Amino acid sequence: MDKKVAIVGIGYSGFGSTTPDLSYREMIFEAATKCYQDAGGIHPQSIDSFVASSEDFMEGISIADEYVPDQLGAVLKPVHSITGDSLQGLASAMMQIKTGQQSIVAASAFSKVSNLSNHDGLVTYATDPFYIRPFNENPYFIAGLEMNRYLHETGTTREQCAKVVTKNRSNALNNPSALYGARIELEDVTEAPVLSYPLGIYDMSGHLDGSIVVLLASEERARELTDKPIWIKGIGWATDTPNLDSRIDGMGSAVYARLAAQKAYRMAGINNPFNEIDFAEIDDTFSYKELQHLEALNLCGPGEAGKLLELGCFAPDGDFPVNVSGGSLGGGYLHEANGLQRLMETVLQLRGEAGKRQLHDVETGLAFAWRGIPTATGAAVILSTRP
Amino acid sequence: MAIMERNSRNIDNRYWNPGFKAFPVKNVYTAGAAGQRFFEEIKNNSKILGSRCEKCELTYVPARIYCERCFNRLEEKNWIDVGTEGTIYSYTLLFQTQNGEPRENPAVMVAVRIADGLLIHRLGEFSAADLEIDKPVKAKFKPKEKRKGCIEDIDYFKPIK
Repeated sequence: MDKKVAIVGIGYSGFGSTTPDLSYREMIFEAATKCYQDAGGIHPQSIDSFVASSEDFMEGISIADEYVPDQLGAVLKPVHSITGDSLQGLASAMMQIKTGQQSIVAASAFSKVSNLSNHDGLVTYATDPFYIRPFNENPYFIAGLEMNRYLHETGTTREQCAKVVTKNRSNALNNPSALYGARIELEDVTEAPVLSYPLGIYDMSGHLDGSIVVLLASEERARELTDKPIWIKGIGWATDTPNLDSRIDGMGSAVYARLAAQKAYRMAGINNPFNEIDFAEIDDTFSYKELQHLEALNLCGPGEAGKLLELGCFAPDGDFPVNVSGGSLGGGYLHEANGLQRLMETVLQLRGEAGKRQLHDVETGLAFAWRGIPTATGAAVILSTRP
Repeated sequence: MAIMERNSRNIDNRYWNPGFKAFPVKNVYTAGAAGQRFFEEIKNNSKILGSRCEKCELTYVPARIYCERCFNRLEEKNWIDVGTEGTIYSYTLLFQTQNGEPRENPAVMVAVRIADGLLIHRLGEFSAADLEIDKPVKAKFKPKEKRKGCIEDIDYFKPIK
């Protein structure tokens, strides 16, 4: 089980607020084509196994996992789906290689959220049918409750949350694939209409369509396929209780993130993440989540993330750049593909292929994803240029 | 392996609706041994029940039949009346409808801490000054004849003056 696993190819398609030209399966086909080209032009016949991350209601089709193989070149091959964030799918793909069962495995995820006429209703459908759903309210009130509790527990301010939005939307201006780039002032965020107090409408990331496919390989095969392998040094994932009623700890802090990161750090041999990791792509589905996640990931203490943000620590030229890509607030939220989007940005930085947003002298990066309201699931991955 | 042609005119793009408007996903739900009893106590006796795990020193509200920490079964003797008062653990003012439409009068949602549990509910009969974490609140039940055995048998929580 000590086999090393590398990312040898990555490709994406879409990244639009709507994508009326392609079906979701064609979008995955295009991302797969780019990914396989990125891995030296490998043909899917040479890929041993495939893992898709998806959720039936997003596809609008039951047993969506049966509709995976053809767009990946996986017909008559081992295929399965993970109903979870795509970093959980990545973990599954990685384990197949670590066990020695497979040598090359593809992992895919997508969002075609623009095809959903009532996304908020779908999120409501994900809440408890007895204790939450009967109120018939917009499910993002859960984010409002979380944010208010987080501010209360840590002394973080509403303005510090707004600063996450201005930072990430500004960062997105240097990312050609980011949709929501903008140079805005703090007041544009704090004075915007309220969604669920204290959460404003710009504290929430906008929807994004797109697909990402990533190719993983064992050390031996990785060396054959690419001269720029990015190594997966550690991975971890965790889920807190689904019951809002028992989230005494989990309402104000991201317990799932703390546990996921602990596992990933241990596997990667990281003791002091702030010093040993160079940058991070961290879930910022909501503004407060970036700060809450930074604290849970032990990159700073409780209540410190907002202050460090104001000091410029998480800016592209700061001590610990966070979401240089623009994150979800600047780039758009890819739903179950959120994790692979964070991963892709980390890979591009480590390869030195991040264009105008390229960081200098980066060797180790962290990607972290959360599954969104109303879930309490997170997954963390440590990537490095060194095996 | 490539996409050779793409639609390049918006007017050529169309969305396909299947022959039926939407699949009518209609479920019924089983409240279960714990849920059934929890809601019947609210409906018949205006009581909120929790269940106590002695090992973890935790009282779950709403009551349930197992402890999610130690996985112990919570027996009959573990069911306790936790009263109808709690404190605001968090609150929010919701300015959008379920479908994401803006609205002027917000819904005020609260997480009410009772023992070690959080009941999610509405706040009623309050002034702006009452919107405060740790504020004591009390359940206001609907008249008995209007209760159905559900969470909405509690009309809302209101501040204790």
